[in-house]
Amino acid sequence: MLPFQGLIVSDLLDDPNGGLVVLSSGLPLPSLVASLLLLHDASAGSLLLLSASDTQKSAISAALRRYGQPDLPLPFDIPGDLPSHNRTALYASGAALFVTPRVLVADLLTSRVPPSSIAALVVLNAHRLSDTSTEAFIARILRDHSPSSPIHAFSDRPQAMVAGFAKAERIMKSLFVRRLHLWPRFHVLVSTDLERAPPEVLDVRVPMTPAMIGIQAAVLGSMDACLKELRRTNKVDVEDLTVENGLFKSFDEIVRRQLDPIWHTLGKKTKQLVSDLKTLRKLLDYLVRYDAVTYLKYLDTLRVSEGVRSVWIFADSSYKIFELAKKRVYQMVREDGTKISVDTKSATRKRKVNNENKKETGSGTGASSAIETNGSKVDTKAGVVLEEFLEEAPKWKVLRELLEEIEEERRKGIQPKEGEMVAEDAGDLSEIVLVACKDERSCMQLEDCISRSPQQVMREEWEKYLLGKVELHSLRKRNKKRSQEPKGFGVLDGVVAAGSSDNSEPSSISKYENDALLAAASEINILSKEVDFGDNPQSESRMKGFRKTRGKGRSRKGLSKTQLPEAKSYQIDNNDKNEKTSSKHEGGHSDPERKSPGSYQENNLENICIEKDLIQGHKEESHGSTLNHIKPLPPVQFYALDSDQHILDVLNPFVIIVYHPDMTFVREIEVYKAENPSKKLKVYFLFYEDSAEVQKFEASIRRENSAFESLIRQKSLMMIPVDQVIVDMREFMSSLPNVLHLKGMHVIPVTLEVGDYILSPQICVERKSIADLFQSFASGRLYHQVETMSRYYRMPVLLIEFSQDKSFSFQSASDIGDDVSPTSIISKLSLLVLHFPRLRLVWSRNVHATAEIFSSLKQNQDEPDESKAIRVGVPSEDGVVENDVRAENYNTSAIEFLRRLPGVTDANYRALMDGCKNLAELALLPIERLTELMGGQKAARMLKEFLDAKCPTLL
Amino acid sequence: SASTSGQNRNAILVSHRQKGNPLLKHLRNVRWTFADVVCDYLLGQSSCALYISLRYHLLHPDYLYYRIRELQRNFKLRVVLCHVDVEDVAKPLLEVTRTTMLHDCTLLCGWSFEECGRYLETLKVYENKPSDSIREQMHSDYLSRLTHALTSIRHVNKTDVVTLGSAFGSLSHVMDASMEDLARCPGIGERKVKRLYDTFHEPFRHVS
Repeated sequence: MLPFQGLIVSDLLDDPNGGLVVLSSGLPLPSLVASLLLLHDASAGSLLLLSASDTQKSAISAALRRYGQPDLPLPFDIPGDLPSHNRTALYASGAALFVTPRVLVADLLTSRVPPSSIAALVVLNAHRLSDTSTEAFIARILRDHSPSSPIHAFSDRPQAMVAGFAKAERIMKSLFVRRLHLWPRFHVLVSTDLERAPPEVLDVRVPMTPAMIGIQAAVLGSMDACLKELRRTNKVDVEDLTVENGLFKSFDEIVRRQLDPIWHTLGKKTKQLVSDLKTLRKLLDYLVRYDAVTYLKYLDTLRVSEGVRSVWIFADSSYKIFELAKKRVYQMVREDGTKISVDTKSATRKRKVNNENKKETGSGTGASSAIETNGSKVDTKAGVVLEEFLEEAPKWKVLRELLEEIEEERRKGIQPKEGEMVAEDAGDLSEIVLVACKDERSCMQLEDCISRSPQQVMREEWEKYLLGKVELHSLRKRNKKRSQEPKGFGVLDGVVAAGSSDNSEPSSISKYENDALLAAASEINILSKEVDFGDNPQSESRMKGFRKTRGKGRSRKGLSKTQLPEAKSYQIDNNDKNEKTSSKHEGGHSDPERKSPGSYQENNLENICIEKDLIQGHKEESHGSTLNHIKPLPPVQFYALDSDQHILDVLNPFVIIVYHPDMTFVREIEVYKAENPSKKLKVYFLFYEDSAEVQKFEASIRRENSAFESLIRQKSLMMIPVDQVIVDMREFMSSLPNVLHLKGMHVIPVTLEVGDYILSPQICVERKSIADLFQSFASGRLYHQVETMSRYYRMPVLLIEFSQDKSFSFQSASDIGDDVSPTSIISKLSLLVLHFPRLRLVWSRNVHATAEIFSSLKQNQDEPDESKAIRVGVPSEDGVVENDVRAENYNTSAIEFLRRLPGVTDANYRALMDGCKNLAELALLPIERLTELMGGQKAARMLKEFLDAKCPTLL
Repeated sequence: SASTSGQNRNAILVSHRQKGNPLLKHLRNVRWTFADVVCDYLLGQSSCALYISLRYHLLHPDYLYYRIRELQRNFKLRVVLCHVDVEDVAKPLLEVTRTTMLHDCTLLCGWSFEECGRYLETLKVYENKPSDSIREQMHSDYLSRLTHALTSIRHVNKTDVVTLGSAFGSLSHVMDASMEDLARCPGIGERKVKRLYDTFHEPFRHVS
């Protein structure tokens, strides 16, 4: 554990009430919770972990394994359907348990878990709480019945903690915690720990293609236009509406939060603008994440699904988005111009492999359209030809180059053992290159790019795209030709169903273009039918094997020389695992590409490509897909950031390539490196230059920092989130405790020696109704009470509480009289005030006003300490009164005794104390000396006579 | 000038700001005179008062705070004399209460000019008065007084008082008694012995 982690935990445990910890995302939250678990003592009761996500649960367990003894029991996850008596037993066992709020609140209310048996509550994802959430309900029950058990809350989403007015404070209030612990990445202790041995970082800026740049500019332009339009509605606060904010999901929240209260009053257009912004943000994100073909496919579905309603789609800039997206994939060329353009194109084209296909496609167009028959035949003949372009993502090439470079260096490092290379590669997990990208999809695609070639990947995507087009087309012709379609087609329904649900033909695609696409597709159909037989169970199971292990990361060994044997052993490896997990994959994955039938199709296509490779391999050995077999690659593992697993400790990579930059992952790398300072670690960041990706990454850090700054500001102004009032038992005769409780204060009844109400460690209140006031002045009790309050509290308060049904005044002006009279209440109060200048007077109209005043006085004060309040004024066995500053310097018991002796007054008791050492000596002082000290013969005689008076005896 | 300062010592010094305050008409039991003082009423060497009416406070909610700030730390007793002259009292009174609490002032409320004036008079008249009249009444008979004194020592009850009295004959002998003698008394256990002996023999002031 890093030093700062220990500090976070000890800081948190400092307050017996618990607290709220907010830390930068990516800092090791699971280890913090794990160390709380380590400190948990089963004899104190159970430790309940609330609202943990599944990944958090496993991460906490993993961290516990790392830090704890191996025999330590992991926290048990209580499933919702566990019989209630089993739950009761678990709660009673004093173990650490994961439990959902819903189950726990029911168990608390039905007393299946006595609140006193809960040693502590740990609430994760505290940013999701509100004062009406179930967690708040649980906290309230717990506080009422077992006020001493701490509640620890955690969040690693500082941005979410500042969404909404005083959200952090409200969350703390609802959990009854008082302390807010902020641990931003820029906290000096965190940064020193993390920057002691930082990893070697290389920032690789990859230029985008002109088309990508064009699309990005167009999307940003559209966003800007939408924002301007939204501002014009005057319905939202414009300050937060910036393009930069628009890059984040939370932007929707900002807008929705403002609009939700008036949502029903908004016009269609405003609502549409809000949803358009969301769409545009996705377009921007997908631009750098999806390949060109998938991107186009996504745009196509967008056009179908929201073409009619959306505002942006008719904007000028959006036209550009579609144009450029299409250009990245294909172009339509007039037939007469075809030859020229193909020739010129082929000169600029990087991938010559496709030439052959291209010509086939081009020449096949006419033929296949003939096969399609129907009315479109004539149009097609009018001479529009499809020309593929299939732009690859620029990062792909860079990634391959990086991997080759890494492998080269790695081989240099272990040169002497070259003979044993293969064996070592297979066994040594510490030599792994980790490639982190956003989602599973990217993982799979990149893996394909590395294992095969980018061109193949693009081609497959393209073929799938075309097949999708055909499907769309055939759907429109409903059943007519259904029976004639090849079997493989049925399974593709899922691919296009979403996009084509409303069956409307995309209006802006020209008929020619559509037909040409269909023609190209049908050609592929024929091809795929031909190789149907090429499918075999082995390759299918292999595909499934790939799927299964993904996300957890898996190594792909050096592909060069060892490819064949490796692949074989791999298959065997996965075949048995396959049985266990195959059901999972058949069970409803919504992503059509992950369906097993989908992979079936994919396999077919793969086979095609392999065949093509074989054919073309002779002619163009140095080109295309064969390229990737030339240079060896290191073992690579792919990791999807979305899967949210903590894999660094498991995989121990020596190089990490951050393919899609992500702030959280960067922190995880930092922590991993800091925990393993001796390990060599190199990190590459792949950014598209001048892209929204960079902007978003940098903005995410800025946003988190400003969230923390705001939290720090809020913390300094924070009111006390819990209003505790300690009340003397005897006060429950009055209605004030009830009214305080009604006002939401937490009333703690105890027996108090000093005061009636303790509002804070400094404020002690003696409450007097008017009748009480007169009576206790008369008896002298009030004087005594004020005296002791003043002794133990910095702010002694006398509360004079009037009654609502009586007049709010002591007396009418006419009752006041002409002279200063010692029996008047005015005189008595004045005298009290003169003798206790520190006494604060509070005048309250009625009980409710008192409650208001109490809560106002409690602002900016600490909560009172129950155990201290009980001890105040109560001497312990050896006579020392705690917290009594005088007790350290004075013999308080002797002084109290002295002051009760006749003749001794406020004016002379100090002189007496100065004049003799102790009471025993005083008893023996002659009358002359007493006269001297007490400043008068009368008082001295009174004292002396009393001291020496003969006691009456019972005898 | 010596005589004026002597006179002033027995008079309330009133700030010129208070000119025209009807309250002044009711200051009849003490002498008062206008003077250049920071507070509204200078009541003694270390005590002063500020006057505020709730009606005025509603119009000028910040007034009181600035006046208190002006006082700085020169006074031991700082009274805010609040004239309750509005019907709906809760909100303004809460604000005044809060301000006085936070800035170490003592709040006194009067419901008429007479009452407010009387507070000022009393504070001046009682400037040096002992607290006896508001302290617990001394009982005149000997046993009550003895009990009152001895029971201030924790754990000592009324029976113990009689026991001790009859054993030693007088309070001065009780105070001078040795531990052994105290322990010989029936009902006085080890704990009480120690408390009694310590009270009488430990010095008033511990040597620091």
